[in-house]
Amino acid sequence: MSDVVELSDAELDELRSTVRSFLESKSPEDAVRKVMESESRYDPQVWAQMADQLRLPGLAIPEAYGGDGFGQAALGVVLEEMGRALACSPFFATVVLGAQALLASGDTDACARHLPGIAAGTTTAALAVAERTGAWDPEEITTRAVRRGEDGSGEWELTGTKSFVIDGASADLLLVMARTTAGPSLFTVDRGAPDLTAEPMETLDATRAMARLRLDGTPATLVGTEGAGGPLLARVLDLTAVGLAAEQAGGAARCLESSTEYAGTRVQFGRPIGSFQAVKHKCADILVQVELAQAAARESARLADLGDDGFPVAAAAAHMTCSRAYMFAASENIQVHGGIGFTWEHFAHLYFRRAKSSQLLLGGPSASRERLLERLGI
Amino acid sequence: MAHDTEGGVGDLSAFTAEVRAFLDAHAPTARGEDEGSGFVWGAGDDRMAYFSSDTPEVEKQKIQQARDWQRTRYENGFGWISGPEEYGGRGLSPTHEMVYNAIESEYDVPDTGVLSVVGLGMIGPTILAHAQPHIKDRWLPEMYRGDAIACQLFSEPEAGSDLASVRTRAVRDGSTWILDGQKVWTSVAHHSRIGVALTRTNPDAPKHKGITAFLVDMTLPGVEVRPLRQMSGGADFNEVFLNEVRVPDDHRLGEVDGGWTVALTTLMNERATVGGDDGGPAAAALSPQRLAAVLRASGTVDDGAVRSRLAELLADVMATEHLNSRAKRGMRAGVAPGPEMSVSKLMYGQNLTRAAHLVTDVFGPRAIADSGDWGTYAWSELLLATPALRILGGTEEIMKNILAERVLGLPKEPGIDTKSPFRELRRSGTGKDKA
Repeated sequence: MSDVVELSDAELDELRSTVRSFLESKSPEDAVRKVMESESRYDPQVWAQMADQLRLPGLAIPEAYGGDGFGQAALGVVLEEMGRALACSPFFATVVLGAQALLASGDTDACARHLPGIAAGTTTAALAVAERTGAWDPEEITTRAVRRGEDGSGEWELTGTKSFVIDGASADLLLVMARTTAGPSLFTVDRGAPDLTAEPMETLDATRAMARLRLDGTPATLVGTEGAGGPLLARVLDLTAVGLAAEQAGGAARCLESSTEYAGTRVQFGRPIGSFQAVKHKCADILVQVELAQAAARESARLADLGDDGFPVAAAAAHMTCSRAYMFAASENIQVHGGIGFTWEHFAHLYFRRAKSSQLLLGGPSASRERLLERLGI
Repeated sequence: MAHDTEGGVGDLSAFTAEVRAFLDAHAPTARGEDEGSGFVWGAGDDRMAYFSSDTPEVEKQKIQQARDWQRTRYENGFGWISGPEEYGGRGLSPTHEMVYNAIESEYDVPDTGVLSVVGLGMIGPTILAHAQPHIKDRWLPEMYRGDAIACQLFSEPEAGSDLASVRTRAVRDGSTWILDGQKVWTSVAHHSRIGVALTRTNPDAPKHKGITAFLVDMTLPGVEVRPLRQMSGGADFNEVFLNEVRVPDDHRLGEVDGGWTVALTTLMNERATVGGDDGGPAAAALSPQRLAAVLRASGTVDDGAVRSRLAELLADVMATEHLNSRAKRGMRAGVAPGPEMSVSKLMYGQNLTRAAHLVTDVFGPRAIADSGDWGTYAWSELLLATPALRILGGTEEIMKNILAERVLGLPKEPGIDTKSPFRELRRSGTGKDKA
């Protein structure tokens, strides 16, 4: 789209190295382990530095709402690095899900109210779509939204249960998809709203916190047009798929580095194991997957920024490609490491957990495949 | 992976403008990339092939078109962009050549593969680096003008992936050498005026140290080219028999027993074609519209298992295309490609193979016997070509070694065959060899 401030390849590389060195110093493996077992599940100090020093939360938010107006390509660079470092951060839920949902709603009042806080790093957000089964399908939404007052003109109230809500127990602002008589619609709910409870869910991947939200006549504000939740969700899903794809590509690349380094130094039978073709070819197979993942993630982000018609197809395909690549890289990384790779102390399992949870986050492989075919009209 | 911009080429914008002006004046722009959009099931030619397997008349016509276009390039200063001016080149950098190729791919020009893939791309630089001056004078301008086609007489029945074990013999006889042996999988040999042959001159040295390279005039007595019929039925390659062919010593390339260095020059100039993005005859097989039409025509569009296979395939096809378009965009900006080309080659072969199997599977019996239904049995031709895609230009296994060793830096397999004299190495199907 024309309102995206484009960055050159050199500028993207510079952004990458800035974010990488920031995360290497603020979110090394021991910090990740400490934070993922803490109650808050992220380090507020690091989040504040990310906002104040690097201006990351506002990177892809339009300048009119206090951001820097860069596009998905720039966002993708940050997400690759976050995925690589397994950074525990409100970034994904706030910037990818929350901010994109607000922008996709076309509700300029809501954007003006919430986006400047998100851009400044002072507001964190979560998007609650999935319910019992975890599907991101507007058809499956049963949470109801009704208006108070006998004439139906008062405040909106939401009733229902949302599950698998990333950062749902910590986010300041909750964006909730609920059904009105007009169909699925987007609402905001404040963290402090009455009749709202949030319970953390136990998760396969401790670096990404999830919660269940119980809404029982909880006051809410409609965002955008009533009943427009379907198309809004489709757009948010496409952007989320690309953001997730970037994270996945970054994580897969880290697994490749780890496998390569180990295969080059671990000696058995008097040789580095990487000199055996069985191991060497495994590493080459991971490289192939990583190259495909990076190309798919980066190119689909570029198409989003260009406003290209092919973007929804590319987004769905990128999530498939990156899901498989990451799962493969994370699994084979453990295999290359052998026994040490199966220990709690080794970081390989953290990537395995993240890889599986990312693959299944938006509904899993079957849903991804059907989403791609549907976007292609097949 | 990050790639560095090659230094020292200066501003490419003037060159780019010159290239565009030349192409605008001489060639139409390529048709839209979305070939599938105009596709109608049942209309037109349903042939689905990888190898051209043209009739001799069509082949002759295509070669003439290739020669004509190469001559046009040459006369306008684009025939050999990175070659030295004294031999008809332009004296610019390889980056300029890369930029030219990337831009030319946007235009609809004749395919010059018969000249360029082996001859101009690999043999020309080899002659330039290793031949005596009068040989360069004699052949280089003729090659880059589009007149002399050249072939690579490298592979042998017993030297496939392990090229350094060639056993075609060359024995010195005064000022000439007598070549005796067999080459195989030689593209364009039947059209070639010259070839570069790797021969064994010292079987007592380790295998890399007893090879000598020669420029062979393909019209010499004793050179016999026979078409090699491949499993798909056509004959797109050749066997070349060298029966006591007498080659003058001044046609030697490089030192005696120094032929491996010459071979490396040739191989380093081997440019992987941009897989899947070449608009070749098989491109349609990977079009989402085409494949969707196949599912509809076969009544399997609602079959979940088939849909899964299609979606998985299409995601890989798109990722491969993204890899190509990113590499091409980089090349247009003068950035040397990294491992993308090797990955793209691997994926292109796998994608086409999966497409051929998916389509033949859904058509069932109509893919094994010609029922006359449009677009069904026609896929069997592509199916029969797919095993080659995992072999030619470097087997999958060798490609993976290259990726692991050159890109990832993993150690090589310790060689048991690089130190012993060649004649003591084991041969296929026997115990110990005697050369």
